[in-house]
Amino acid sequence: MLVQENLYLTRSATDGQGGQQFLYKVNQYGISAISRPQEEISQIHWDVEVIKYHETKTIKFDICHDTQLAEKTLTFYNDTSLNEFLEKAFEYFNELSTLNDMIAKNE
Amino acid sequence: MSLDTVKPSPGFLEHLPIEYKDLIEHGPYGEQKKVTDMGKFKELVEEHPMCAGCAMGLFIRLVFIGLPKPEHTVMVGTAGCGRLAISQGNIPFVYGNYGDTNAVATGIKRGLELRFPEQDKDVVVMCGDGGLVDIGFQGLMHSWFRHEKFTTIMLDNETYGNTGGQESGMTQKGQIMKMSPRGKKDDKMDMMGLAEVANLDYVARITPTNPSRVVRTVRRAVMVAREFGATFIQAYTSCNIEYSIPTPDVMQDAFDMEKKNYGFEEKISDRAKAFLDEIEKKDKKKKKK
Amino acid sequence: MSNLNAQEEGKSADWVPAGDMQEEISLEEMLKLPRETIFMTGSEAARESIRRANVDMAIAYPITPQSETMQQAGYLYDEGYIKDYYRAEEEIGAFSAISGASRAGVRSLTATSGPGLMRGMEAISSWPGARTPIVMLDMCRVINTPLAIQPDNIEISFLLDTGMLVLHGENQQDFYDFPLAAFMVSEEVDVTLPCTVAVDGFFVTHARGNVSIVDRKYKLPARDGWKSAVPAMDNENPPARLSRDAPIQKSNFISYHMHSSWQQEVFSAVERSAKYFDKYLGGLIEVVNPGADEMIIASGAAVSQAREAVRQEGEKGNKVGLIKVKTIRPWPRQQIIDAAKHAKTILVPEFNHAGWLHKEVCTTLYGHSEATIYNGPRVFGGMTMPTEMILDWLAEIRNKTGSKNLFV
Repeated sequence: MLVQENLYLTRSATDGQGGQQFLYKVNQYGISAISRPQEEISQIHWDVEVIKYHETKTIKFDICHDTQLAEKTLTFYNDTSLNEFLEKAFEYFNELSTLNDMIAKNE
Repeated sequence: MSLDTVKPSPGFLEHLPIEYKDLIEHGPYGEQKKVTDMGKFKELVEEHPMCAGCAMGLFIRLVFIGLPKPEHTVMVGTAGCGRLAISQGNIPFVYGNYGDTNAVATGIKRGLELRFPEQDKDVVVMCGDGGLVDIGFQGLMHSWFRHEKFTTIMLDNETYGNTGGQESGMTQKGQIMKMSPRGKKDDKMDMMGLAEVANLDYVARITPTNPSRVVRTVRRAVMVAREFGATFIQAYTSCNIEYSIPTPDVMQDAFDMEKKNYGFEEKISDRAKAFLDEIEKKDKKKKKK
Repeated sequence: MSNLNAQEEGKSADWVPAGDMQEEISLEEMLKLPRETIFMTGSEAARESIRRANVDMAIAYPITPQSETMQQAGYLYDEGYIKDYYRAEEEIGAFSAISGASRAGVRSLTATSGPGLMRGMEAISSWPGARTPIVMLDMCRVINTPLAIQPDNIEISFLLDTGMLVLHGENQQDFYDFPLAAFMVSEEVDVTLPCTVAVDGFFVTHARGNVSIVDRKYKLPARDGWKSAVPAMDNENPPARLSRDAPIQKSNFISYHMHSSWQQEVFSAVERSAKYFDKYLGGLIEVVNPGADEMIIASGAAVSQAREAVRQEGEKGNKVGLIKVKTIRPWPRQQIIDAAKHAKTILVPEFNHAGWLHKEVCTTLYGHSEATIYNGPRVFGGMTMPTEMILDWLAEIRNKTGSKNLFV
């Protein structure tokens, strides 16, 4: 079972290729984790992206490859490693927003 | 004992059909009858719509007498002449889809074994050569190789009698029939050989020339199947219509066939032989008493 | 072999089948129990359902994408949750044998996919008339040439008029819940019919989703072979076994009459099953945003795509309704009329080229609704249906762009 904290939406993957998408949100940033069908069940894995939401009311976001967390799509082969990453990411996003707040105040 | 389950509640006895009561009181439910007593007891099949002089009708009647425990037997058949008589018998009969007999029998036998582990329940497939070696071949072979615990009896009339005389896998080579207008090109399928390859514990080839032998063979096949796994009887039951055998000559044809290429043959595994020896010894003792 | 002679298959003398240690409870009670949510594949969800279903006999034959599930059933047999199990020769053999098992009065399970369903169709089409309660899991895939293993549910259209009960599950959760209901309903005395639980292959079977399940220590009550519209063929019901009548194959008025009344009874039994499914599945349909002018009617995996389309339209401030059809047979005619009659626009997204659900919806709503029922969107042969596809159809209908794709 994936971490439930900061889970914003669970939905069917919108590209129609099957599978579930889990969207996490911490302030403006978040994580998209998709688990897709595979012909070999042992090949089922997580495709994970760091994302940045456009605004808070609707689920609109861009994939974000310029954070220190990830520069590309990440692959996780089990829930435990993804959960560890999620905890780390939440911490990072919180730090990032504290930093952004400080910058905003200074400006 | 098995008969207990067919004993009607006293209150219901008077409402049961007379045929049913007769089967218990004067028939083979709970007590196996002898061929030599035919005519003196209530038979499981008494009337049927088979053609006049049909050898298959006689053979089926004998099979019913041979069943060791008819009150706990389910019969499975498929399209063909045989089912016209079999369905008239006082035994639950599944008239299934084309060629599905040995698969259906597998399910029934295993299901009954789960529900009644302490009660022998026999399953017997009885149907024609086309139903078994043509359309039902795959199911037949797999039930043999899985050694499913039921008996298969092939009513071999060497043709599709019910659909009007087409060639079957069991038709003799060279025979002109419908769908083999220039004579059958290939040999009669060697089912005895295949049964041997499948390593069955009891296999027999027979004609209805000797009624007591038919009854004994059926009984042996069912008893061995109950104990060890799949058994097979290949019986010549001529089609006097499609082979134009005059009615008075049907039995003579059976004798001729027996001499020519359908001689009685029994292949019994060692373990089945030991088992049969034991139960047949017991039977003899019973009779003496 | 079976659990009766497990020692011949290598189990020790003191081995106790796991199923023997489970506690029997009714499905009503089971539905009230607390559940644990696990992220698992549809095949695993089916396994957990079968584990709790008190299955006596399962007959398997491999075909993609079904194989995974019946392999799992094999492991359940090994653990002792299923009493007998084997791999059959092919589908006609598997489906004929399972009808034999059901006739013998035991709880019976089999499964297939697309071409396997077609191969076994003769056997399947005789199940309802033989009044054999059987559950068949059907993991839909492409049939017809060119051969493919991708999801496409055209095969469900072949089952619609067999007299079988047909459920169409949306996701992994349904693949856990529906089989349990299927076993119970198919064995009700006034039903006594086989039931298919169909899901779209791969999307459900080979993908993971959240599934809430009850503790594995519980199982459904065992099947009672005598509690049935047609008693089990077990020689324990004296008068019933006098089969004196010849098969009704002869062409005479008696055979016509017998066959027609028998068929009428089968299809009446299908209708009678509705009250039970209503109880166990929480309704034959699920309605999201009732009363909306624009409604989507869907079954199977198309429901999931429709849900997301409804959500995204909601974000934009548009109320779009959704009717999820859970039971295809019995067909929830009145429920659909009540939920859709007010609509102005109806879309029927499907994963097959025939549009069998669209035809059912049109037949149902004819004369009951003023709505324009659009013939799609549809994908088939394993093509994908992105959420955008449904959204585009809605947009084109609203803008009356007279699109190339919109057939009414």
